[in-house]
Amino acid sequence: MGIMTITAAPSSAFQTPKVRAIHRDQRLAILLLLPAAMTIFLVMIVPLGFALYASLFDYSLGQENNMSFVFLDNYLRFFADPVAFRSLINTVVFTLLSLSLGLSLGLGIAVLLKRINPATANVLRAIFAMPLLISPIIVGLVWRYIYDPTYGLAYYLLRFVGLQNFGGLTSSATALLCIVVADVWHTTPFIILVASAGLTMIPDELYEAARIDGASSFHMLFRITIPLLAKVLTVLILVRGTDAFRIFDLVYGLTGGGPANATTSLSVFAYKQAFENNKMGFAMATSVITLVCLVVLFGPFMRNSARKGKEI
Amino acid sequence: MKPLRLGSIATWIILGLFTLWTVVPIALVVLNSFKRAKDIFTTSPQLWFTPTLVNYVNALTKANFGLYYCNSIVVAVVSTAVVIGIGTFAAYALTSFRLIAANTVANGFFLGKLVPVISMLLPLFVIINSLGLRGTLAGPIIAHVALNLPFVVWLMMGFLRDVPPELQQAAMIDGCTRMQTFWKVLVPVILPGIAAASVLAMQYSWNELLFSLQLTTLDTYTVPVGIAGFVGSISVDWGLSSAAATAAMIPPILLGFFVQKYIASGTIGGSVKG
Repeated sequence: MGIMTITAAPSSAFQTPKVRAIHRDQRLAILLLLPAAMTIFLVMIVPLGFALYASLFDYSLGQENNMSFVFLDNYLRFFADPVAFRSLINTVVFTLLSLSLGLSLGLGIAVLLKRINPATANVLRAIFAMPLLISPIIVGLVWRYIYDPTYGLAYYLLRFVGLQNFGGLTSSATALLCIVVADVWHTTPFIILVASAGLTMIPDELYEAARIDGASSFHMLFRITIPLLAKVLTVLILVRGTDAFRIFDLVYGLTGGGPANATTSLSVFAYKQAFENNKMGFAMATSVITLVCLVVLFGPFMRNSARKGKEI
Repeated sequence: MKPLRLGSIATWIILGLFTLWTVVPIALVVLNSFKRAKDIFTTSPQLWFTPTLVNYVNALTKANFGLYYCNSIVVAVVSTAVVIGIGTFAAYALTSFRLIAANTVANGFFLGKLVPVISMLLPLFVIINSLGLRGTLAGPIIAHVALNLPFVVWLMMGFLRDVPPELQQAAMIDGCTRMQTFWKVLVPVILPGIAAASVLAMQYSWNELLFSLQLTTLDTYTVPVGIAGFVGSISVDWGLSSAAATAAMIPPILLGFFVQKYIASGTIGGSVKG
């Protein structure tokens, strides 16, 4: 009882052992955080600050001492440049298509895997996980072979339905769609894995009760599965969406941005400005614009997922 | 009963088709890696052919893939060890201590997912250059640690939140210090999670192209950079690049088989449990 009174008195001039222990605890926690926080600060925040600063200048690589101040000129140029604008549109279209196709396919397969016996489902899930672990540049290689106009499997198969002239990667009308297909192949496994784990957290009783009430499987999908998976879907949109919006490797491997910039993404565009055209300031402005788009598009989801909730 | 059976047939057909969709592209590369050029360049897929190891021999001797492989192993192992170490410590600090603003810091970490790679790459390129580290493996290692950190912290926070708090309390009542509790109680419990996060971090580092491409030179190329050398060009040596690709994708796929279910539960755990 005596000890309790002492700890409860904040006005005490001396730190009690418990208070001291809390302080020691806080110091340890900060010490544990420090390496990670320093890494993020030095490798992400400082470069980002530099990018903001450098986007106001016109300079080339290795000429950091010889930068000419152009203020917002790089930003104005971005919106006046048809290729830059095209790359912004390409990135948005790519992200929306890849995300919606990947989510519906991944969610669908995860739901189907729940309906078959668990042992087989586990084997299938392990097989389905494979593309996830392959390098995007190898995915690019594989799909370039599949899309090869002479030897490619895509042309071989499409010939049966009379679509052998669909254009593939060489037509600006279809190239972006071809990249979306390759990306969906690569990233749907992650969605299947995460959605499957989310589905196991939904109690079976809910489905049984719904079935007794005569609900169709269509109803159960939209009234039980999807609402209860809301949190999981938010995480998926956040993780997959931010990756899709920053797409580089796959485009680089499949088309290099062509034909006629039909597949240039914001990352590819910035990369080309920096390393091929040697326009560093312009490349930095492009990446700042990319960041703003990412924050606008995915910031709301982040707020949502950070909010504490125990809906499941 | 009849509609149910019809539904289950449809389920199996769809799952079968999806298996084909997943496996066929991988099988194409693996098969191509054992084919001679005349068997690769056929207008209809060739399933019967005389296998050859000539592509693998070429990859090792002509294209120097042995060296790239070693470089990739060093980069992946070192960057994974570092990121798992500092990431797990950070996650421990953010979950088990009543740290002021823990949530804000955790969100700050995840903001790393929003930073466009180019805006990191160019300044890092300048810094690495001026430190004289260009052409060493330090460049890709530093980059991969930073790129992996947000997701690793997120995953490890998810796993740590799954551990019942009573376990830690009991250990501390028994006289363990914070760090003893961490090593003796928490680490053994979250070991599967650490394994899953390690595999994810390692495969990312193993597969990452952009930073490795710009921060390395001929002696320090990693496998993806080597492969990009074929893919970027106009004519692709399919046999050689398929052999390199096959050798590059086997390790992560094998490792992934063991941890795929933990990857998923960790990803969700980071968000769902408040």
